[in-house]
Amino acid sequence: MIDTIAAAAVDAFGLTDRGLVRDGNEDHFVIAQVNKSIEVRQTSLPPDDVDRQFETTAAYLFAVADGVGGRPEGDLASGRTLSAMLRYLGKAASCFQGLDTNAEEALLEKLETAVRDVHEGLIGEYGGYTSKLPATTLTLVLLVWPRAYHIQVGDSRAYVRRGGRLQRLTRDQTLGEYMVSLGAWTDEQASRAPAAANLSSAIGGSELLPVVGLIDLAPGDTLLLCTDGLTKHVSDEQIDAALAEAETAVSTSTKLIDGALAGGGTDNVTVVVVRTAPK
Amino acid sequence: MLQKKICMVGVFGTGKTCLVQRYVHSIFSVKYLSTVGVKIDRREVQANGQPVTLVLWDLEGRDATRDINPSYVRGAHGILYVVDGTRRETFDQIFEIQNLVVSALGDVPSVVALNKSDLTDKWQLTPADEKRLSSAGQFALRTSAKSGLGVEEAFQRLADTTVAANGAHR
Repeated sequence: MIDTIAAAAVDAFGLTDRGLVRDGNEDHFVIAQVNKSIEVRQTSLPPDDVDRQFETTAAYLFAVADGVGGRPEGDLASGRTLSAMLRYLGKAASCFQGLDTNAEEALLEKLETAVRDVHEGLIGEYGGYTSKLPATTLTLVLLVWPRAYHIQVGDSRAYVRRGGRLQRLTRDQTLGEYMVSLGAWTDEQASRAPAAANLSSAIGGSELLPVVGLIDLAPGDTLLLCTDGLTKHVSDEQIDAALAEAETAVSTSTKLIDGALAGGGTDNVTVVVVRTAPK
Repeated sequence: MLQKKICMVGVFGTGKTCLVQRYVHSIFSVKYLSTVGVKIDRREVQANGQPVTLVLWDLEGRDATRDINPSYVRGAHGILYVVDGTRRETFDQIFEIQNLVVSALGDVPSVVALNKSDLTDKWQLTPADEKRLSSAGQFALRTSAKSGLGVEEAFQRLADTTVAANGAHR
């Protein structure tokens, strides 16, 4: 998908793969765009003076969700979450023009509320929280050029590559990351602890702690959203190299998925790559 | 509810994220993770007798390759400038950063947090430095995200002064 949003050309593509071990795929992704359009229905102006249709892209939504393994219907949780985010996009579309500070705050609040609503909906549907509740991660970017709003729950990730440098926009919400941040565990202890990968926050989980942020993108930046099926097998250095070398979002996505499979493919793997054209 | 946008601004590694973590989540992280872009958190407080939601914008720190992005501070009601008291250069740069912020935003209530005050043996700021801030009409106080010292006071001061300055407008 290549389109123009304000001043920047955006090339976005997503791929998901079951991997080499799992029976099914509980990951989902979505790439969506909101268009502003004007259609001239009738006019007395000479035909040559009128463009019949004007269309520009107002916003994009990119998201990945990883249904939690070991629970039933992980794909239900991830799919339902992304569907809810699309509904949010529809409701929030009117906010994308002339985002001032108040509108921006409202946009972010609605985004967080949409995530909480899915969480509470799942809990309500199953008659309260239990460890058998379908659960999912969510990493979502809403791009209203140049501003990329992001929200994250769980251990799927968002990266930005700018000026030859790969940086993580998100932090994994896992027990291991939490214990290391408090100084209770070393990185080495976390790498050996079986419980380290347990999510400390998930939609449908015992805790939901959405983390919201934003970054202004610049032409030439690349965004990557991915589930942990990628990062289990492909290091940040390898991701950086893949983003640097590939020429399109399609080829980058393919290369990353191939890397995860070559590394063992022990989990479902999903990527969404968003490249903005350099000036 | 009344909302006030408060931006955390300063050089990289001064402890902006840790101050927010302490204030909002009552935790202290020992692992340094640099912020990319902005992280947003919220906390409800009482300010001048009314409930207010502080929307805390934790901005990526200034370093050799990137300056404060003026578009991030636009619309802010208050600024928390954060200095690392164990790195003198973070104090020296705060005046330049203030100029940048004021030119983008105008004059809004602000507080200077002289952070990492628990590291007394590494402290590099002098009483004259603190006097320089007060002479410039700047409210400054020592804070420690690790111990919690001064953290509530810094944010409460911002809540009170932003509400007093802007009234009940969002």
